[in-house]
Amino acid sequence: MRKLLALAAVGVLALGVAACGSDDNNSSGSSSASVASGGGSLNGAGATFPQPVYDEWGARFKDKTGTTVNYQGIGSGGGVAQFTAGTVDFGASDAAMTDDEIKAASKKGDPVHVPSVFGAVTVSYNLDGVEKGLKLDGPTVANIFLGKVKKWDDPSIKGQNSGVNLPGDSITVCHRSDESGTTKLFTTFLADYSPAWKNGPGVDKTVKWPTGTGAKGNDGVAACVKQNKGAVGYVEQAYALQNNFTTADLKNKSGNYIAPSLESTSAAGVGLKIPSDLRFDAINAPGAKAYPIASATFLLVYKDMCKAGLKSAQAQRVKNWLDYAEGDGQKVAPELQYAPLPEDIHTQALAKVKGLTCNGKALK
Amino acid sequence: MTTATLQPISARRRRTDQIARALLLIATLIALVPLALVLYFLIKKGIGTWTWHFFSTDPSGRFFGDPGGIKSAIVGTVLIVALASAIAVPIGIGVALYLVEYGKDSRFANVVRYFVDVLTGVPSIVFGLFIYIVLVLGGVGGNFAGWKGSIALALLMLPVVTRSAEVVLKLVPDSLREAALALGAPRWRVVARVVLPSAASGLVTGSLLAIARAAGETAPLLFTAFAVKATTFDLGGQMNSLPIQIFNDVRQAQDRLVERAWGAALTLVMMVLLLTLVARLIQRRSRFA
Amino acid sequence: MEAGVATTGGGRSVLERSPLSRLPDKLLRWGLTALAGAILVLIAYFFVKLYIEAKPAFDKFGILGFTFDNNWDVSRNIYGAWPLVVGTLITSAIALVIGVPVAVATAVYIVELCPRRLRQPLSMLVELLAAVPSVVYGLWAVFVVIPKLLPAEKWFAKTFDFIPFIGGGAVAGPNYFIGGLVLAIMILPIVSAISREVITTVPVEQKEAALALGATRWEMIKMAVLPYSRSGITGASMLGLGRAIGETIAVTLVIGNAPQIGHHLFSQGYTLAAVIANEFGEAASTPIHRAALIAAGLVLFVLTLVINAIARAFVLRAERKQGTRIAGGAAA
Repeated sequence: MRKLLALAAVGVLALGVAACGSDDNNSSGSSSASVASGGGSLNGAGATFPQPVYDEWGARFKDKTGTTVNYQGIGSGGGVAQFTAGTVDFGASDAAMTDDEIKAASKKGDPVHVPSVFGAVTVSYNLDGVEKGLKLDGPTVANIFLGKVKKWDDPSIKGQNSGVNLPGDSITVCHRSDESGTTKLFTTFLADYSPAWKNGPGVDKTVKWPTGTGAKGNDGVAACVKQNKGAVGYVEQAYALQNNFTTADLKNKSGNYIAPSLESTSAAGVGLKIPSDLRFDAINAPGAKAYPIASATFLLVYKDMCKAGLKSAQAQRVKNWLDYAEGDGQKVAPELQYAPLPEDIHTQALAKVKGLTCNGKALK
Repeated sequence: MTTATLQPISARRRRTDQIARALLLIATLIALVPLALVLYFLIKKGIGTWTWHFFSTDPSGRFFGDPGGIKSAIVGTVLIVALASAIAVPIGIGVALYLVEYGKDSRFANVVRYFVDVLTGVPSIVFGLFIYIVLVLGGVGGNFAGWKGSIALALLMLPVVTRSAEVVLKLVPDSLREAALALGAPRWRVVARVVLPSAASGLVTGSLLAIARAAGETAPLLFTAFAVKATTFDLGGQMNSLPIQIFNDVRQAQDRLVERAWGAALTLVMMVLLLTLVARLIQRRSRFA
Repeated sequence: MEAGVATTGGGRSVLERSPLSRLPDKLLRWGLTALAGAILVLIAYFFVKLYIEAKPAFDKFGILGFTFDNNWDVSRNIYGAWPLVVGTLITSAIALVIGVPVAVATAVYIVELCPRRLRQPLSMLVELLAAVPSVVYGLWAVFVVIPKLLPAEKWFAKTFDFIPFIGGGAVAGPNYFIGGLVLAIMILPIVSAISREVITTVPVEQKEAALALGATRWEMIKMAVLPYSRSGITGASMLGLGRAIGETIAVTLVIGNAPQIGHHLFSQGYTLAAVIANEFGEAASTPIHRAALIAAGLVLFVLTLVINAIARAFVLRAERKQGTRIAGGAAA
């Protein structure tokens, strides 16, 4: 009886306030349906990996259509979670959803993965006197993040970098504290080269880091690298560029040390075999010039958006946004050093977007 | 006649006394050092950002180019805190009125008091978590919304307002109440025309302090109001706020975003300090301090 | 409440009011009672709901298992909160060790030693420390305190590395010590304010007696003031502890967010409050993760409850001794 009273009390209070507060031109999922699908706003949340390019797209998309895109970088894990819970119009994740995650989301509908751009995960470091281009191979990076290699002048680093004057500073590891697609991409790379990593922390959006400081988001790790001398961390290319980080050249599958760049990121997209649901990653791509930690990042939407809870005007806005991402957006991406999708993947992505519906009806 | 109790103070004891007093003074100054340092750095690093542009543009979110200002954060904080106060202050004073005028020392009143006291100890993040689960995930009236953040803040403010209101209302002398009653005034009139006006400045002080506290809270807004870059007056949707804006900017690597954090922090602290000082001034001038 | 003696002809008192005019009174009374009841119900619902949501985690790991297992592994969905509990206790302990002596000294100085004119301004300044929002302390700590203290911390760790826990480990930027330091600053106002009230209520006769016996100022404080105020000050410290335990935002910015037990003063760690803030966006669709976070919130809350109850007992004991009421109501 008391619980009933309590629920009633909270409910009445909440409804009362909601009634006073609604001024409905900006909220998603609210009761008013605006006729035009330009204007209004979209709410998305997820990966910080592509946040720079999504924010730039958002600004230009607004100029073009009048729709404001509110994108919050809360990490791929947060993106998948909010997408599944239905609190956002679209999610974003660098790591494709796992089978379990898809099962959880299937309550609302079929999740669709729409790859947007390719980006690169750099290994950035903060070392006085050491230029960019420090050569590191997979096993060494793994050992650094395992805490086995503790100083910069360790023989395993020195061995690959004769001629570089390495200081004896201790290595401060910076990693993610939140669930991150960037982490999953990075740990996929590490596990490929280090059995100790594979059997230890493993591959996931969040792992038990043997050592180091945790920070939220790519931006947080970038801040950690920036603020600590002798620090090393993994951040997406755009963040490294924005902060003028020195980045390492990583040894790829073909045995070449490759620097992260637009070219090497695009090279990672060549010749991939991808499944029809587009859940793939491009880590350790086979190309000779391919950067080994480059991969696509995904926008997540439900196949039938209206059935999943969006109003029809809102669903149309989401489709417009995806059209932009796969259209004009592809030309904008290189400005921020994100690689546009390779031809075959792009075609499949376009098909996925075309297939989105609202209560069974195709969207414009 | 003994001289036992009037021995002259030895040099050693005098020295101990002087050292102890010096240490106590130093400790007091040490306590004030963080305040001075915080204000110093806030002003040093924040005042540079205070331009008209800063207050009149929203955060642009653009990675390169103009980072924008904090307009949406200021608007959001004002709206969210105003709604929270509109909920918490009347209810808090109402409960305090009940406790002082009617409940007094009854078992029910003591239970209410105890529960309200218990609520003071709840960490602010737990309020946010509760509202997130009940209202956001529960999908009551949409998803993330400014008004849900307001409710989380109101929960936080409620015990503070109730407690301070109870103290102040208790200080109104019973003789005033009895005089009014003896003159034939009905109870509600006594409350409305005698008790509340007498306690008014104390009630205002307590409420302002609670509002100042709520304005600075971040955790309850994290996953209730969430955040948004554009200025919006719609409490039914996601909303930005100063604490959230600062929290997001602190963790950035880009210097100009960190600068914005300092400017926003200075703004927030000025707002909170203003409220606090006004509250204390009112308190000093009141009859029942 | 009516003076019902004087009557007119029909036996009705001059001052009796019609039932209709008594309606507002009844409304007020029942309205306010209902409001108080509703609040009670709301608060009860709050705790019940939290417990219900946390139950899956307690069912899976056991209440003791959840609280004392040293393994917070999100990717494998294993939630043992011990590293978080330890981190919470360590940072709070550091906060007490640094904050309480300073707060009590400040209280003593303000009440006993400082010139009367300065009393109000000084206490107001100390209370202003409480007005600074948590996120601003975090901002300041990250960009001012951490870089400035890093060399000193490194020196300290090296010089004292023979003492376990304090020295010998790697010194990280954000660490337990900085967390404790920031918490100390944040609990200072509340501990100081309540200590001040406690010290003010020491009977003047006690103090005058000590002075009359020839004690110096400091000896008077040592003999008459401090022993008398002991339980009140303990209560104040525990209230500060309760506050420190629940502090989220400032701590999460400076503790390093590492879900392990750090073995040194300058290692990174994690706290219960920080983990909730950091992870609950991601837990939205993983029921067991969400339950674990709420369970962490519940553990946090129960800790605070117990500490505040003990604190209240101490303050009550002090009140009873003095026979006065220590009004801690307005303390921020």
